[in-house]
Amino acid sequence: MQDSNCNNHSEVHFKDYSSGNIYTWCTNCGNYGIQAAIKRALVAEKIKPCQTLLCFDIGCHGNGADKIDGFRFHGLHGRVIPFACGAAISNRKIRVIAFGGDGGSLGEGINHLVSAIRSNYEVMFILHNNLNYGLTVGQASATTKVKVKMNASPDGVTSDPIHPMRFVLSLHPAFAARTFSGDIHHMTKTFQAGLRHKGFSFIEVLQSCPSFNHMTPHEWYQTRVKDVANIKNYDPKNIEKAMQIAEDLETQIAIGVLYKNPDSAPFMDRQANRLKIKTELTDEVRQFSTGKLFDAFR
Amino acid sequence: MLDIKRQVIKIAGESGQGINSIGEIVAKAIKRSGFHTFGYREYPSLIKGGHAFHQIDFASYPINCSSAAADILLCFSRVSFHAYLPTLRLHGQVIHMLPQLELTDAEKRLVREKKIKIAYLAAGDLAQEAGGKFIMANVVMIGALWKLLGLKLEPLTKVVRSEFAAKPDVIEPNIRCLKKGFHFPLKNLETLKITFRSQTNCQHDALLTGNHLIALGAMAAGVRAYFAYPMTPSSSILSYMAETYHQTEILVKQIDDEISVAQMAIGAMFMGTRALVATSGGGYDLMTESVSLTGMTETPFVCILAQRPGPATGLPTWTSASDLNLALYAGHGEFSRCVIALSDSNSAYTVVQNAFNVAEKYQIPVIVLSEKQIAESLFQVKELNNNIPIKRNLAEGNKLANLDSADRYKNTKSGISPRWLPGESEATYVANSDEHVADGSVTEDSETALAMYSKRLRKLEFLRDELPEPVLVGPQKSALTFVSWGSAVNTIVDVLDLWNRAHPKKCINLLHYEYIYPPKTSKLLDLIAAAQPLVLLENNAFGQLGALLTAHTRYQFSDKLLKFDGRPFFVEDLIEYLETKLKY
Repeated sequence: MQDSNCNNHSEVHFKDYSSGNIYTWCTNCGNYGIQAAIKRALVAEKIKPCQTLLCFDIGCHGNGADKIDGFRFHGLHGRVIPFACGAAISNRKIRVIAFGGDGGSLGEGINHLVSAIRSNYEVMFILHNNLNYGLTVGQASATTKVKVKMNASPDGVTSDPIHPMRFVLSLHPAFAARTFSGDIHHMTKTFQAGLRHKGFSFIEVLQSCPSFNHMTPHEWYQTRVKDVANIKNYDPKNIEKAMQIAEDLETQIAIGVLYKNPDSAPFMDRQANRLKIKTELTDEVRQFSTGKLFDAFR
Repeated sequence: MLDIKRQVIKIAGESGQGINSIGEIVAKAIKRSGFHTFGYREYPSLIKGGHAFHQIDFASYPINCSSAAADILLCFSRVSFHAYLPTLRLHGQVIHMLPQLELTDAEKRLVREKKIKIAYLAAGDLAQEAGGKFIMANVVMIGALWKLLGLKLEPLTKVVRSEFAAKPDVIEPNIRCLKKGFHFPLKNLETLKITFRSQTNCQHDALLTGNHLIALGAMAAGVRAYFAYPMTPSSSILSYMAETYHQTEILVKQIDDEISVAQMAIGAMFMGTRALVATSGGGYDLMTESVSLTGMTETPFVCILAQRPGPATGLPTWTSASDLNLALYAGHGEFSRCVIALSDSNSAYTVVQNAFNVAEKYQIPVIVLSEKQIAESLFQVKELNNNIPIKRNLAEGNKLANLDSADRYKNTKSGISPRWLPGESEATYVANSDEHVADGSVTEDSETALAMYSKRLRKLEFLRDELPEPVLVGPQKSALTFVSWGSAVNTIVDVLDLWNRAHPKKCINLLHYEYIYPPKTSKLLDLIAAAQPLVLLENNAFGQLGALLTAHTRYQFSDKLLKFDGRPFFVEDLIEYLETKLKY
């Protein structure tokens, strides 16, 4: 890693995160609010575009990869999590954020989510959950409710949906939060909490899809969400309570930081051979003398 | 048949009987006695049972392959006795520890025909008599073998002492068992007549596998992260990387699947460290969408593809060179890549280092082909003196200070654009798996798409210019030239000197393809123009290198020696072929 002009202490502003490219999302798409909130959260946490790596899966949200500034990687469908984890452990000075949809994160790439939670890589993962495959024009995803008629499911979806938070909490994650794309302020606060967390933070965004999901628009969520911050004495360290409150997705939908495990060490703090090392893997690429190891074979 | 000037010991037993440890002790002691060795393993995909062997070939000159037939069989199980008795040469000898061993009629006939001598050693009882435990029978057997070899005991006792250095209380009982076996009279056996002399310059050589050498090469190349999912024959790279990680401080992580392995490495390389992955064919299949991703985003990527016979699970613990096509063609779309194939110990150490320099300079995937025969065989190596300077080709100094986002995928003459890492500059960019413009922003414009597609492919031509031509090994003029790659090359090289010395008028040589893709053809075209007889020799059924070379030269290989039974090319395979082919 070379000296960089990225380390100066200039201030960071919202406009620094503008890319100049024109948005291609549908009118009223939840992605606008999510991207505005992530920009706000990064600015509020004083992270400059050159100090962050934003990693995008394939899907509608991924088409925002070039609509925001920062170092960005727009990878393959379902694979954003392992890419982001590999990047994050290589240089912890760069804040790594991964974005994925309900298709790529709970269908094709669900195993990666499990691995990332278990290993607690230092990545903030934002799940854009709009209950369908938007970019391929409205097929059912793993979170589409049963019996709903979708593209390629003319008589209604026949598989039962995954409940993302129930699934994630069953793995005892380090950090799990939920927010919704109609409330930029709440998303910003939630993303900030995720950015401050050391380790893997899972944030589910309940997202509107005006084109293909007519059942749960912003208004539907607006009347049902309940922020756990407003619950007296809510203890985010209590996983049973988190599981209980996260369950309802129909009448009273809990949002906010639902669970935080204070004892879960981030990935690099679990590596016995790296504990005393101050440098990052990106700083260490130099010739290693193999003589001593070779001599052991004589 | 031509005298191959080597002796061969086969140590055979069941999986789980410690055949490998015995083999390594014997190989080390033979090396310390002044010989050049090569260790070859055959074993089933089982943890216990079946039959397995560790074979040590030794000679007075460096060797890198095995012979099919053995002079001595040191036998620890009945199944392996029956399996390997037929592999003995004329006058072969057997020491076994199997009471009431009965031979079939066919075996009795074979023993008579080949004048094989068989001796039984009650090794377990002798171990107990020597004050050791029954399991020290293995060491008694080694002692008896040593007597048969007619070598001095001292190098062997030294090796045994150092093998058990961590358990001082078992050293003396083991030494007593060793001597018990050494001094026990095995009347019907004859001390081996080693017709070649021991050397004084190889006692301190190292004995290590191709996978060890690959790992050491990766360390020398500045690799700081290793990700893998276990798959034979690549798994021991993972084990060795993990065993040594306190010394190297490399991040070593076993990952849940090969797709994640590839993606994590791509993430790590994108962020700016050097990460290595290794797998076998099935694992590489899972990685191929990610290989295609590196082609589009121009992210360096290096993967060791350790081949074994397929398709599907195939022969998991056996050897093959049948995944060249996989390395050459897998991954959707068209993009630049580099394919290199290891052969011997030197290439295992150096090629990995070159692979990273190529991957970073050209910002492409580099696939390094290995084989079970290279990965798990025990090579004897004098020194590792081929450290290749690390060249990363990252933007530096003034260039780094004055970057613009649109420099990242700038359309240059060579197709290579400036590369810099997250955090190094305020000039940010997007690495986009969608077709993109110079700063990575998405585009579907036909003109731009064509320009960017061409830019990425253009790198291949510059890379082709930089890569070395295949090496012509042996005399310039010959009666026959083998065209080959991978471990098969080691067998050709071993046979080449012996053959040429015995047949100065019917010399052979070899065109060795180490850097396979993009293919270099000028040396081959010279040979074709001179109407040189060429024989394609590959450890696969399709003649995959041949097909690639035909596509690039229009030359059809009519003579082919192809082997695809899961076994490597043995010395005998080549000599028999040459004796027929050159009408000896």
